[in-house]
Amino acid sequence: MLDQDLQVSVMAQLKTVMDPDLHKDIVSLGFVKNMNVEGGNVKFQVELTTPACPVKEQLKTECETKVSSIEGVKSVEVEMTALVRAAEHSQPILTNVKNIIAVASGKGGVGKSTVSANLAMALQMSGAKVGLMDADIYGPSIPQMLGIPITPPKGGADNKFYPHEQYGIKVVSAAFLQKEGVPLMLRGPMLGGIIQQFLQNVEWGKLDYLVIDLPPGTGDVQLTLTQRAPISGAVVVTTPQEVSLIDAEKGVRMFESVKVPLLGIVENMSYFVCDGCDKKHHIFKSGGGNALAEKFKIPFLTDIPLVSAVVEGGDKGVPIIMADPSSPATKAYTKLAGQVAAQLSIIHADKEKPASSFEIAWEG
Amino acid sequence: MSEEKSYKSDNPAPKDIKQIDSTNLGITWTDGHESVYKVRHLRENCPCAHCIDEWTGVKRLDPNSIPDNIRPTKLHSVGLYAIQFSWSDGHDTGLYSHGLMRNLCQCVDCQ
Repeated sequence: MLDQDLQVSVMAQLKTVMDPDLHKDIVSLGFVKNMNVEGGNVKFQVELTTPACPVKEQLKTECETKVSSIEGVKSVEVEMTALVRAAEHSQPILTNVKNIIAVASGKGGVGKSTVSANLAMALQMSGAKVGLMDADIYGPSIPQMLGIPITPPKGGADNKFYPHEQYGIKVVSAAFLQKEGVPLMLRGPMLGGIIQQFLQNVEWGKLDYLVIDLPPGTGDVQLTLTQRAPISGAVVVTTPQEVSLIDAEKGVRMFESVKVPLLGIVENMSYFVCDGCDKKHHIFKSGGGNALAEKFKIPFLTDIPLVSAVVEGGDKGVPIIMADPSSPATKAYTKLAGQVAAQLSIIHADKEKPASSFEIAWEG
Repeated sequence: MSEEKSYKSDNPAPKDIKQIDSTNLGITWTDGHESVYKVRHLRENCPCAHCIDEWTGVKRLDPNSIPDNIRPTKLHSVGLYAIQFSWSDGHDTGLYSHGLMRNLCQCVDCQ
């Protein structure tokens, strides 16, 4: 029999092999790949939806038995492979990203985006490949702070799109999805959809660190991210006064309850250094961030001074860390980046690692 | 300072999760503890808002309404803190946090 005809018979036989879970034959399901028939020797792959398929061996035996029973077949070689299909929650996302850092606060207005932008820049300046995701959908401010004009992102294949690039870091923001100044008015479920897109559809390339600037609070965006993204650790930003600390504590508790490791607390607008003297003026009280860190036994990463150049840098689109290397704020951000990187290394070194993302198909 | 415990201590997570047989799920925890769960026990204790009233905490699920041959069809991790089960009765809305799973352990030491 000609090899071509033989291949037709083989496919016809394989059409009688049923996947017991999906109740369809493996040919219709598209599982049969790389069919090769040469001189009566048949070789092909069966690509299952999970490497943990409980009926893998059974299917393999059935394929081999059925194909070898065809007249003219001399040998059969079946290789079982698996390609885990896209499924909500269990999808491998951001696989080229080594570390995902969430920057959060309980309260708005504590300088989360400023900290995120400068932290990302500090990590980049240390030589790392860095991405910055502006997950504050309603109030995206990262493009402004980095001086990126509002243009739609460049599209790629398969619904993917490319991040904007500025100062050597890759940036996505909801601001790019709208015309400048037009508010995005969305209800909760839509927020989750945008975050999902940021996680799945962005061509980040290889990154050492992805910094995620979260919106304030403990809502939809935070929950979606903690359920879908493999977050390596969270940084909680607070200002020194009680009213901010109360909410920062809620942020800390949120990460605890979803088991995202806390890298530590940053106290922003910690003190003011005036032009005339070197004295640190603690305008909003002092020590609150440190006390919060001690209460939860998590690291106090650094305190960042209130310097008018930080605000100017943000408004002009040149982060302080680039604009003024000698600023006390620059020193604080450089320290922060070092502390964050160190805490991540500590977490990676932790031997008692829990099971990472898994999916089990039940048998019987 | 308060007596608050560090988030790292006393907060075990599943290290290894596997099907033991058609009605039992096994979990080995990061603290070394080993749990074996009857899958029916897990279905009966589903924490979702259909099964437990969200505001009052009163159980709304009638255990007698669960089929005798209840099985998971699959289970998977949610973030770093929970496990989600899809059940043979079509129910799949429960997110079982690691803390809940540990509380549901039926071993002699835990009961």
